[in-house]
Amino acid sequence: MTKAYSRFLTAVFCVFLGGLLAWHLFLPDRERSETENRLLEQTPEFSWEALTNGKFTKAVEDYFADQFPLRDQWTGLKARTEQVLGQREFHNVYLCGDTLISKVAPPEGGQLEKNLSYVSRFAVAVDVPVYLGLIPSAAEIWKEKLPDGAESWNQQSFLKEAAEIDGIAGTIDFYTPLAAHQEEPIFYRTDHHWTSLGAFYGANAVFAELGSFPLLAKEDFTPEIASEDFQGTLYSTSGVHWLAPDVIEFWVPGNDLEVTTWRSGKAEDSELYVRSYLEQKDKYSAFLGGNQPLYVIRNGNGQGKLLLIRDSYSDSLAPFLATHFQEVHLIDPRHYRLSAAQYARENGIDAVAVLYSVPNFITDKNLVFLIQ
Amino acid sequence: MVFSSLTFLFGYLPLTLGAYFLTPLRWRNLTLLLVSLFFYGWGEPVYIGIMFLSILIDYTHGMLVERFRERRKIARWFVGQSVVFNLLLLGFFKYWDFLAANLSLLPGISVPQLGLPLPLGISFFTFQTMSYTIDVYRNDAPVQRNIVDFGAFVTLFPQLIAGPIVKYKSVAADLKKRSSTSESFAAGACRFTVGLTKKVLLANAAGSLWETCLEAHSNNALTIAGGWMGLFAFGFQIYFDFSGYSDMAIGMGQMLGFHFAENFDHPYLSTSVGEFWRRWHMSLTSWFREYLYFPLGGSRCGTARTLRNLLIVWLCTGFWHGASWNFVLWGLYFGLWLILERFVFRDLLLKTPVWLKRAYTIIVVFVGWGIFAIEDMSVCGQYLSVCFGGGPLWSAADGYHLRSSAVVLLLLILGSTTLAADLWKRLPERAAKVLTPILMFLGLTVCTAYLVDGSYNPFLYFRF
Repeated sequence: MTKAYSRFLTAVFCVFLGGLLAWHLFLPDRERSETENRLLEQTPEFSWEALTNGKFTKAVEDYFADQFPLRDQWTGLKARTEQVLGQREFHNVYLCGDTLISKVAPPEGGQLEKNLSYVSRFAVAVDVPVYLGLIPSAAEIWKEKLPDGAESWNQQSFLKEAAEIDGIAGTIDFYTPLAAHQEEPIFYRTDHHWTSLGAFYGANAVFAELGSFPLLAKEDFTPEIASEDFQGTLYSTSGVHWLAPDVIEFWVPGNDLEVTTWRSGKAEDSELYVRSYLEQKDKYSAFLGGNQPLYVIRNGNGQGKLLLIRDSYSDSLAPFLATHFQEVHLIDPRHYRLSAAQYARENGIDAVAVLYSVPNFITDKNLVFLIQ
Repeated sequence: MVFSSLTFLFGYLPLTLGAYFLTPLRWRNLTLLLVSLFFYGWGEPVYIGIMFLSILIDYTHGMLVERFRERRKIARWFVGQSVVFNLLLLGFFKYWDFLAANLSLLPGISVPQLGLPLPLGISFFTFQTMSYTIDVYRNDAPVQRNIVDFGAFVTLFPQLIAGPIVKYKSVAADLKKRSSTSESFAAGACRFTVGLTKKVLLANAAGSLWETCLEAHSNNALTIAGGWMGLFAFGFQIYFDFSGYSDMAIGMGQMLGFHFAENFDHPYLSTSVGEFWRRWHMSLTSWFREYLYFPLGGSRCGTARTLRNLLIVWLCTGFWHGASWNFVLWGLYFGLWLILERFVFRDLLLKTPVWLKRAYTIIVVFVGWGIFAIEDMSVCGQYLSVCFGGGPLWSAADGYHLRSSAVVLLLLILGSTTLAADLWKRLPERAAKVLTPILMFLGLTVCTAYLVDGSYNPFLYFRF
C-alpha cells in the first residue's frame, strides 16, 4: 500500500463515520416520524440519578437512533438488501409479488380464550341480540399468495371454534364472501385493512345475518377516488418502499347522513370522511376520522339501531351499514371505558355486533371492558 | 455500547479517534485510558469502580512481585493474591447466583441470590490482568511502573468487553512506543469493516434462522432437517458474531497502532476436534494452556495425570463460558472428545481421508453448539433427540426457511473457508485497489442501513 492510497482509504472510512456524525449534529431534530407513526425521542435531560441507573445512556442511544439522518431511506435500503439476499419476510410482513401481507402469529397467554368468554358474558348481560363477526385478515383469505411454506396462524379453524361460543345470537360469516371474491382487491396491498370493496362484501355479510335487509348491489354506488398514493401500515413496518401505492375509494356519499363524534369526550358534529387525513401519511383515518371512543351515524331513511363494538376495520364498513340502518353506533373499547351494555339500554339499541379483525381479536386486551 | 451500534459507530468512534490523534504522542495512553473508561462506564456507570479497583490492585501486585523478585516465596505470595483477587471478582459477579441456587438445593442450606448485572467483559479483563502478574513473576514480561500505561492496558476499549484476551507481554512493547501510520490505519479500517459486516449482515441473519428453529421446537413442530438447520445456523451465528467482533477489535487496535494476536483461523475447516480448538478463540485456548494446563503438568506426567489435567482444563473452559450446567457439560463434552482423539482414535484418524475428518469434526462441534445454545438441559436433550431421528424428516416450513436463507447460508459456508481470501490474493493489484474502497463504502452503508433498521441486534458474547 502506498502512502497516498492508504491515506485515501483512511479518508473514506473517516469521512463516512465523521460525516454522518456531523450531519446528525447539524440536522434539526424531528418531533415525529410520519412513516413510523410515532413520536421520536428528543435530546435527553441529564441528571446524576439517570446517569447512575443507566437510564441516561439508554436515552442517548434511543435519541441517537431516532434522529439519525435519512432514517426512512436507511430502512428502505435494508429491506432492499434483504430482498436481494432472498428474504421474503420483513418484520413479520410477507412480500408476495406486489402485495404485502402481515403474518399472524399464534396467540399467546390465553388472550383469545379470554376474549371469547368476555363476548359470551357480554352477550348474556345485554337484553338485545348480540352477534359476533370476526373478519379474517389477508393472511387467511390470500394465503395462496404467501410464499410456499410460509407460516401464518390458521384463522379459518379459529373462526369455526368462535362460532360455537354460548350466548350470542349468531355469527356473521365474513370468511365465505371474502374467500369467494379473493381474486378482487378486497384488501390493500400496503396496509392491513380491507378496502372499500372488501368492506362492501363485509356489509352484505352483516345484512345477511341481521335479517330483514335487502343486499347492496355494486351498481348502486359510484366510487369516488379519494387518494391514489396511500402507503399504509405494512409499507411502514416492512420497510418495503418500492411497491406502487394503494388507491382509497369512498363508495357511500356522506351528504344525507348526520354524524356525531365523541372524539374529545363530548358530542360534536363531524363528517363521514375527514378529508384532511388524505393529505397525511395515515390516509385510512379519513374513514370516520380514525380512532375515537364513540361515533354515531344517523340516516333519516333507515331502520333500526345497531351498536358495533369494533376495531378500525369498521371505519370503512360503517358507511355501508348506515345506508340501511337508522342509527349505527360505534364503540371502540380501546378508548371507550364505560359500560357498553348500559349504553345499549340507554340508546334503544336493537342489535349489537362485536366486529373485529381476527389478528386484533386474538391480541386485544381491551375487550375486558365489555363485562363491566 | 456494542461496536455494532449507531452510537458507537457514528458517535464514540469518530470522536475517540479524533481525540486520540490530536493528542501529542506521549499523552496518548492517558487519552486512551480516559476514553476507555468512558466506554466502560457507558453501559453500567457504577461498575467503573471495579475497573479502578482492578487497575490499582493488579498494578500494585505487579510492583510488589517485581520488588520481591529475589525472594521467590514472597513474590509467589503476591502473585497468588492477585490471582485470588481476580478469581474472586469473577466468581462473585459471574458465579455467585449459580452457586447460591445450587447450594440452596441442598437440604438445610439457603444462600440468597443477588441478581447483580454482570459487569461488561469481566471474564476477559480478569484473565488479562491475571496474565500480567503471572508473566511478571515468570519473568516473561517487564513490570509496568506507569499506572496510566497499565490502566490503558487493562481498559483498552477495542478488546475490553469481548476479547481477544490480550496478554500483557504481547502488547508491552506497543504500550511503550507505537507508531500509527496511515498504512496501519487503512488496514485496520478495512479489517474493522469486514468484522462489522460479518456481524451485522451474516451473524444476525443466521441468528434469526436459529431463533425460528428454536421456536419451531417450542411449538413441537421441529423436524430432523429443521433441527440440523438450527444447529448450523447457531454455529454460524456464534462464529461470525464472535470472529466479527474480534476482527473489529483487531482492526481498531491497528488503527491505534497496536498489534493484537489473531483469535480465529477458519475453525470450521479443522480435521479434528483438537485442531478446532487450536483455531477457535485461540486467545482463550492458549491462555488456559499457558496458565492452567502447563502448570498442572500438561501431558508430561503420565497418562493418568494427563487425563486429569485435560478434564480440569475443559471443565474450566466450559464454565468460563457461562454460569450454568450446560456450559460445564459442553466443556466436558469437548474434553471427552479430545481424550478420545488422543488415546483412542489416534491411529484411526491418521488413516481417515481429510473430507471425512472434516465432516466428523463439524458434526461433533455443531452438536456441541446445541448443548451450548440451550441452557435448559431437558429442552436441549429434546432438541438433540429430534435431530437424531426423533421427529418428522422435513416440513413445508423448513423449505420456506431454507429458501429464504439460501443465499445467506451459502455466504456463511463460503465465508467460513479461505476461498474469499484466496480469490482476493489472486486479484490483479489494480483491481484490488479499485475494489477496496468500493467494498468498504458498500459494507459501511449496508451495515448502517441494518443498524438503523435495528430489527435484530443482540450480541452473543456479551454474557461472558
